[in-house]
Amino acid sequence: MKNNNDIVIIDYQLGNLFSVKHACVKVGLNPIITSDKKDILKASILILPGVGAFGDAMENLKRLDLVSPLKDKVKMGIPLFGICLGLQLLFEESEEHGTNKGLGLIPGTVKKIPFSIENRKIKVPNTGWNTIYNKNVSEWNNSPLNSLDQNSYMYFVHSYYAKPANANDILTLTNYDGLEYCSSIKKDNICAFQFHPEKSGKNGLEIYNNIKIAFQ
Amino acid sequence: MKTIRIIPRLDIKGPNLVKGIHLEGLRVLGKPEDFARYYYENGADELFYQDVVASLYERNSLNSLISNTAKEIFIPLTVGGGIRTIADINSVLRAGADKVCINTAAIKNPNFIKEASRSFGSSTIVIAIEAIKQPDGCYLAYTDNGREHTGIEVADWAKKAEELGAGEIVITSVDRDGTGLGFDMQLIQLISEIVSIPLIIHGGASDESNIATAIKEGKADGVALASILHYNFIQNNITSLIGKEEGNTDFLKSGKQFSRITPTTIKTIKEFLNKNTISIRL
Amino acid sequence: MIENKDVLKRYNLPSEVKFCKKCTISNQRPRITLDENGVCSACNFAEYKKTKFDWDKREEQLIALLDKFRKNDGTYDVIVPSSGGKDSAYIAHELKYKYGMNPLTVTWSPHLYTEIGWQNFQGMIHTGNLANVLGTPAGETHRKLTKLSFEILGDPFQPFIYGQTNFPLQVAVNYGIPLIMYGENGEVEYGGDMKNAFTPTRDYKGDHKKHYFSGLGPEDLIKYGISKNDIAPYMAPSDEKLNKLGCEIHFYGYYKKWIPQEFYYYCTEHTGFKANPVRSEGTYSKYASLDDKLDGYHYYLAYIKFGLGRATSDSAHEIRDGHLTREEGVQLVRKFDGEFPSKYFQTFLEYCNISEDYFWEVINSWRSPHLWGKDEGGNWKLLHNVSKTGLKD
Repeated sequence: MKNNNDIVIIDYQLGNLFSVKHACVKVGLNPIITSDKKDILKASILILPGVGAFGDAMENLKRLDLVSPLKDKVKMGIPLFGICLGLQLLFEESEEHGTNKGLGLIPGTVKKIPFSIENRKIKVPNTGWNTIYNKNVSEWNNSPLNSLDQNSYMYFVHSYYAKPANANDILTLTNYDGLEYCSSIKKDNICAFQFHPEKSGKNGLEIYNNIKIAFQ
Repeated sequence: MKTIRIIPRLDIKGPNLVKGIHLEGLRVLGKPEDFARYYYENGADELFYQDVVASLYERNSLNSLISNTAKEIFIPLTVGGGIRTIADINSVLRAGADKVCINTAAIKNPNFIKEASRSFGSSTIVIAIEAIKQPDGCYLAYTDNGREHTGIEVADWAKKAEELGAGEIVITSVDRDGTGLGFDMQLIQLISEIVSIPLIIHGGASDESNIATAIKEGKADGVALASILHYNFIQNNITSLIGKEEGNTDFLKSGKQFSRITPTTIKTIKEFLNKNTISIRL
Repeated sequence: MIENKDVLKRYNLPSEVKFCKKCTISNQRPRITLDENGVCSACNFAEYKKTKFDWDKREEQLIALLDKFRKNDGTYDVIVPSSGGKDSAYIAHELKYKYGMNPLTVTWSPHLYTEIGWQNFQGMIHTGNLANVLGTPAGETHRKLTKLSFEILGDPFQPFIYGQTNFPLQVAVNYGIPLIMYGENGEVEYGGDMKNAFTPTRDYKGDHKKHYFSGLGPEDLIKYGISKNDIAPYMAPSDEKLNKLGCEIHFYGYYKKWIPQEFYYYCTEHTGFKANPVRSEGTYSKYASLDDKLDGYHYYLAYIKFGLGRATSDSAHEIRDGHLTREEGVQLVRKFDGEFPSKYFQTFLEYCNISEDYFWEVINSWRSPHLWGKDEGGNWKLLHNVSKTGLKD
């Protein structure tokens, strides 16, 4: 029986951690929520959630001295799951509120969703359900999405999106009103979602369940 | 593409789900947990909890309901009613909500919107506008659950709220609320033309066709529904009353129907929207 | 300089202020009593109603009564005194569409119709499909009486109350309709003389003056310089005429559960009723007593005389209905009770042809020292209130 401290939800004081925790609990995982780097260093799985501003997030992570522990764990091969802002932070930089440096674990940048596409006004933030897809079936099957159908609906809420430098790092794409963008990434032991699996109903819970299955 | 969201709105007083007309009257229809669970399992895209007496009683009491919901229900939850300070927002989010909905406090101090969106992110901050049509045809915003006059014109206010960092607007027609007479298209188009952030419409939905029209012509991004869903739920489900029967439970006990409302389900609505080429999550 | 009124003596009030343990009302409401547990008669009655009344039996009694009076020939067979508000519109509509009666709603005009009041009144007629007779007294005389009753009785509403009580009786005699159906028995529902708690009827001979006219009937105004002819439209028909007609005044609230909030829903459903866009001054609700611009002054004076404003009476009966907890009621009273009705203040002054100074002189003459005192800033404050934050609490 795995003990409590193995699954760590990183609390850097931004976002709804309650739901992330309870989605884990719902599928039978028992995570802890912590800002303490000691716990992060002991973790077997790391979850980096978040909703809010990129700059504030990086500042908080630095202030809590979590940047190096996080990077070290990733280097060691520990699985890291990022959610929403947690995906964006993995990249090199974001153009939110000026240029801010990220964790640099994934090559690429974070850009703002434009206000219009092909002269059509689009609503920002992107708030709502949308489908995820990947033409490369083996990539899909080799991820926590494996039990889900292509074009499954997930819940998104964001004003910025990630642009990975390497196409290989893209796990899924999503088309928001004409803008096709990367909605999740996978690179070795890092997997991250722009959408919120803990807010995506039964589909989202399946992702958590698949994480649990892979872990056991 | 982009899907339109169907959002059941639950007005809450104490332990009960209530439903008024013109934001007045506290007729109890049952326990919010029962409705929430049912809607989650039957196609709701998000849930909206509004504490309708928070401003009146100057109390905030939804936190345990929020937590209980967030433990079992894994779709986004927006919570409104009596949110006055950064600490209130923090408390509600930590309890398990994803977005907060603010009206009275924002109109009284617009800078609160700026502060809040800076602290929590725009997408977390929803601004609610309660609109009442005036004899001269213009729409003014009201506060305190549609009780207090402000003299502020709704389109001006919506634009300002967006500029200050709101992530979403919920526009409620107080005139149509609870009447089943259909959405106020004039009001919706007025706001929709002005804002670039997502717009949720609320107040008066009469049937599937009315919802479809409001989405297409009003260019709404989401639809908040109450009466037509709640009256359907109580028709077909046994709702348990709280032991002490707090609140106006006479209607529920009478077993009568409310003839003004044509009850329906989320499934029926979504099927209709889909048939009418409106992008919806099925 | 206006003489201070002896409120204690006039209304026979207890000198020590006590609040009901269950609702927000105090023992200062005339004729109310508190029992040995500190619970008021209205709350006790509400409790009694919940558990001991057999509503099915009562409905049978109602049906038997209506069967006696129903005409079925197109002529009116019941009078429903009505303002166009939700309570009376509900009664008239249900009598017509559920019980097959042919009601005539009878309205004694408010001093000055509000827009929402007129709208709802018309809604009752056109959407509710209910016939109506509207009685409007001669304007100048009515204003004269309003001003006079404001001065001597501390209630500008008195001439309205005369008409509200007596005009339906006049119509009954003139149209030959013996049955009059009022709503609730105010004395019994809101705490007063409980002698009629178990009868469905009102005695037009005995109770009016005491219960509804505060001891001052229209005929008593003659000594204040009002002519007999001026007063005639406000008088009830003679007892002989009423006896000959076989007049019976009943309370619907005796036969049916009295739940004003549900009547709001009923009327939005059936008579086109609309709530006010804003809450009424002095309270939290948007659907009660909306029709008269001068309404607020009647309630405000009750606040001055008894320390009990509109939010108190609204919350008290909602607590008894089980819609609010006492705690919620107290909070509402704290927030709204005694709020000055400023919206139509100028209108009121013009209507009565008095100055603002004079208005306040009259108001202050009704502040009894057992209820009111002045704080350090020289402002009038209640000595005792339901939140226990009065000057002497």
